Amino acid sequence: MTVQLKGRAEAITIQWIPKYTFMERLGHWIHTATFVPLAITGMILYFPFLQSLAQGEAGLFIRLVHRVAAVIFGLLPIVYFIFQPRRLLLNIREFLPNKDDIGWLKGAPAYYLLGKHEAMPPQGRFNAGEKMNGLVMIVAWVVFGITGVPMWFGKGVIPPEVFRWLVIFHDLAMIVSVCMFLIHLYLAVAHPLMWAGLVSMRFGVTSAEYAMEHHAKWYYGPKRAMEIWEAKKREAAQKGGH
Amino acid sequence: MNGNKSSEKTLSRREFLGLSALGLGISLAGARSASAAPPTASPDEVAILYDPVKCVGCRACQMACKRWNHLPSESTDPQGIYESPRDLSAITWNIIKLRRTEVGWHFFNYQCQHCTDAACVEVCPTGALSHDPLGFVALDRGKCNGCGYCTQFCPYGVPHLQVANPLTGEAKSAKCTFCQDRLWSGIGGPSCAEVCPVGALTWGKRGDLLEKARARVAELQAQGMNARIYGENEAGGLHRLSILLDDPEQYGLPSEPGTPAFARAWQRVIQPLGSVAFGATLAGILGAFLFVRRKIRMEEVR
Repeated sequence: MTVQLKGRAEAITIQWIPKYTFMERLGHWIHTATFVPLAITGMILYFPFLQSLAQGEAGLFIRLVHRVAAVIFGLLPIVYFIFQPRRLLLNIREFLPNKDDIGWLKGAPAYYLLGKHEAMPPQGRFNAGEKMNGLVMIVAWVVFGITGVPMWFGKGVIPPEVFRWLVIFHDLAMIVSVCMFLIHLYLAVAHPLMWAGLVSMRFGVTSAEYAMEHHAKWYYGPKRAMEIWEAKKREAAQKGGH
Repeated sequence: MNGNKSSEKTLSRREFLGLSALGLGISLAGARSASAAPPTASPDEVAILYDPVKCVGCRACQMACKRWNHLPSESTDPQGIYESPRDLSAITWNIIKLRRTEVGWHFFNYQCQHCTDAACVEVCPTGALSHDPLGFVALDRGKCNGCGYCTQFCPYGVPHLQVANPLTGEAKSAKCTFCQDRLWSGIGGPSCAEVCPVGALTWGKRGDLLEKARARVAELQAQGMNARIYGENEAGGLHRLSILLDDPEQYGLPSEPGTPAFARAWQRVIQPLGSVAFGATLAGILGAFLFVRRKIRMEEVR
């Protein structure tokens, strides 16, 4: 797929390559469309300064919204698994930590804050930051489920001693996942280096050049990616020597 | 070029500090004061005193509570036991329980203990449960949204949810309110204490009742009973004082109600911790946004 963008002085050609399936993107956006209302309605019970919104009829309504969104949020990965089981397992496998993550952690400040491309070693289809986001969301989904379902149906059934801890863990999962979400949101919509992220989550394709730069091990394969990176590092060192 | 660069740096550093301050501000605005010590009861507040030795188990208190608070009757299966109903519920806020010991039969009245350091008030996200200036734990059902945290954190298992729809969660909390409407309108004291024909349940100023309770305990001890006061210091001081003839556990009352401390840790440590985390994250993002905008040129990005 080739798209031509005509600028004032020159024409840029972007070569698009597939990155996400339609079901992956649909799942991602349904997850977003339920996570955000869940977070907002949860915050209303959480922050004392939002107390007036939690009271009476308004409070009943926000609790209902929380429950409706929770059902969709909870069922989504299960339904997705029914549609694309291999794809889901592939994604989960790609979220698991490996050696590349250490390089990412070392290079991240210079790369994300200063735009120093040579600081970032080649990454796979997901880099360490995306993996963190993915894993936090998976763990949070499990914790929200384990704690949320008994909080809904378990009053008077499970011992109050257990219930009290469920509320605490529900809160902790919310704190971690909302912080992660805020960072994810910033990188997706406002970070200049990550411009193709939102495009690929909307249209399923990413720029080949972007993939070479950001997901070299996925684009070239691990061996070739390392060779290219070593060459790039040598070139940068020579330039620095001058 | 060089000077330009350093001025850029100092500017962004200043902005960074400003943003950190902003983040801290957001965190503190969201956080409740963690320093607040658990409250203690004052002698001028109102309270109820229960003397089980005087109680004859007539259950007039139970009936008066139902009548004043317009609570419907509950269908029960007494199974040959005295208690009916067996326990407190959303429509039964006051009951007499029977305790059999080697010595004999003892009645004991159960109702909200109206803690000073009340876990239910601490965890209530709506302010429906609150400390009335008169001392008791008041309930504003209009504010309640039915979340049910109070039912799970009360160390005495007092509040119950009146569930209208278990699926949508439409519900209202219900518990003894010390007949708050009677006190607020000046009609009198709680109906259970007003109606008690033998003076087992009495109400008045907490300080006076404590004095009365101490005298009564001395009297019972002189008669050879293992009498004590329950509620003088428990949970910051209860507004329902009881005379016990045995360990609190024998009456189903905790010696040390622990949930107020647990609830406080949740509300005043974990929740503010979340606010600090959100504030720090937002400040970091804003700082990074402004910094990156200067450092990374979109024209050079591939």
